[in-house]
Amino acid sequence: MDGLYLYCIREKTDTPCFSTKGIDEKEEVFVIPFRELEAVVSKVSFEEFASEEIQKKAREDLNWIKEKAIAHEKVIEEAMRKDDKVLSLIPMRFGTIFKERAGLEETLNKDYLKIREVLDRIRGKQEWSVKVYLKEREKFEQVIKDKNETIKEKEKEIASLPEGLAFFMEEELKEIIAKEINKELNNFAEDIFERLKDFSFDLAKGKLLEKELTGKEKPMVLNVSCLILEDRIEDFKKGVEALDQGINTKGFYLEHSGPWPVYNFSVY
Amino acid sequence: MADLLTANKNDNVTLVDALDKVLEKGVVINGDIMIRVADVDLVYLGLRLILTSVSKAEELSGKSFSNPDKEFTPDDIAYIQKLQREIKKAEENIPKLIDLGSPKKTEQGLAQLVLTLLELIRKLMEKEAFRRVKRGSLSQAEVQKLGLSLKAVKKKIQEVQAIFGIKDEDLNLDLGPLGNLM
Repeated sequence: MDGLYLYCIREKTDTPCFSTKGIDEKEEVFVIPFRELEAVVSKVSFEEFASEEIQKKAREDLNWIKEKAIAHEKVIEEAMRKDDKVLSLIPMRFGTIFKERAGLEETLNKDYLKIREVLDRIRGKQEWSVKVYLKEREKFEQVIKDKNETIKEKEKEIASLPEGLAFFMEEELKEIIAKEINKELNNFAEDIFERLKDFSFDLAKGKLLEKELTGKEKPMVLNVSCLILEDRIEDFKKGVEALDQGINTKGFYLEHSGPWPVYNFSVY
Repeated sequence: MADLLTANKNDNVTLVDALDKVLEKGVVINGDIMIRVADVDLVYLGLRLILTSVSKAEELSGKSFSNPDKEFTPDDIAYIQKLQREIKKAEENIPKLIDLGSPKKTEQGLAQLVLTLLELIRKLMEKEAFRRVKRGSLSQAEVQKLGLSLKAVKKKIQEVQAIFGIKDEDLNLDLGPLGNLM
C-alpha cells in the first residue's frame, strides 16, 4: 500500500513539477492542493517504512539517516525556489508519513489557521545559519592566561617544586585554566549572539555540534539560526563577514550559510 | 538538481547544517508514522549505572593511615628514580611516534574505548590522591611517589594514544542527555 511522505507546506504555485526524486529516490515528488496551500509529498511504501527494519535503521544506522535526511532536504530546497526567488514554506521534521491522502487533508484542515499564521509570519524573511568555531585554542588560552594573576602565580610556584609534587599542582592548574577558558568562551559566544541581533528579525540558538558531526578539527562554540528580512540580507552578509574578521585575531572564525528553509522559525 | 545543496548556497554550506536542521528542527505533525531518530538513551543508561558505582566507591574510600613525617627509604628513592626514567622514556617516545605518521587506524576504535576507560580510572585515582594530598596526611616522600606514579601512568596513556593516533579529546564518551563522560 502507498503512503505519503510529507516534506513541506507552501502557498500554491504555478510550478508544481519537481525534478528531485522523493525520499526513496524513486518516486516522483508532487503536490496536493488544499485551499490556497499545497502540500509537497511523494509516495512511499507504507509497509516498508512501517517495518521493524526501517524503524531500527532510523534509530541506529547513521548512514541511512544521513542519506534520507539529505533526500528530505533536497526536496524542500527545490520546493522553496522559484526562478531567483525564495518562497516561504513550512518545512517538516524528518519522517512524517501518512497512510492515505485523506489523513493528510484532514490534518491540513485541522491545522489550517496555524499554518496560515506561520506563513504570514515568515513571509519576506529567510533563515540563515551562523556557526562560530575556535580556531586556535592556544591563542585564546594565552589571552586569558596573560590577564589572570592567579594563574601566573601558580605557574611560578610550580617551577620551584620537585616533580612528583609539581604534578599535582600542574593538574590543578590545568583545571583552573580550563574553567576560566569555559567561562570566557561563554562570554564570547554571548557577545557574538548579541551582535547578530542587530541584523536579525529573530534568532534561535542551536546545540553545539560535536566534532564527529561537523567533521571539523575545531570545536564549535556558537550555533545560531537567524531569521532575516529579505531586504536586509546584504547587510547581514556584510555584518557577519566583518564579525569574522574581528574575531580572527582572538583565535576564532565564523561561517554563515543560507538561505535555509525556516526550520527554526516555523513551529506551530 | 543533484547538487542543489551545494549549488544554491555559495556560502560554506555543509552537510552538517542540513542534518542539524532536518533531524532536530522543523514542524512535527502527526502522520501515521513518525520516524524517530537519534533515540539512543538506552545505551547510555547502562553506562551511567557503571559510572555511579565507581564514584560511590571512590567516595567511600577516603581514609589514610599514613604518617606525614615518614622519611624516604632507599626503596622509595629507587622507585622514584624508576618512575622518572619511565616518564622520560615515554616523553621521548611520544614525538617519535607522532612523527612516524602512521597510526594504527584499524584498531583505533577499540583502542579509543579502552583508553577512555583507562583515562577515567586514572582521573578518579588522581582525584582521590588529590584529596589525600590536600588533607596533609601524606609524607613528602609519599606525595612525591604518588605524583610520579600518576604522571607515569598519564605518560603511558599518552604514549599509547600516539601509537594509535588518538587525540586527547577523543578520550571521552558522549553520554547524550548526561553530557560527556569526562
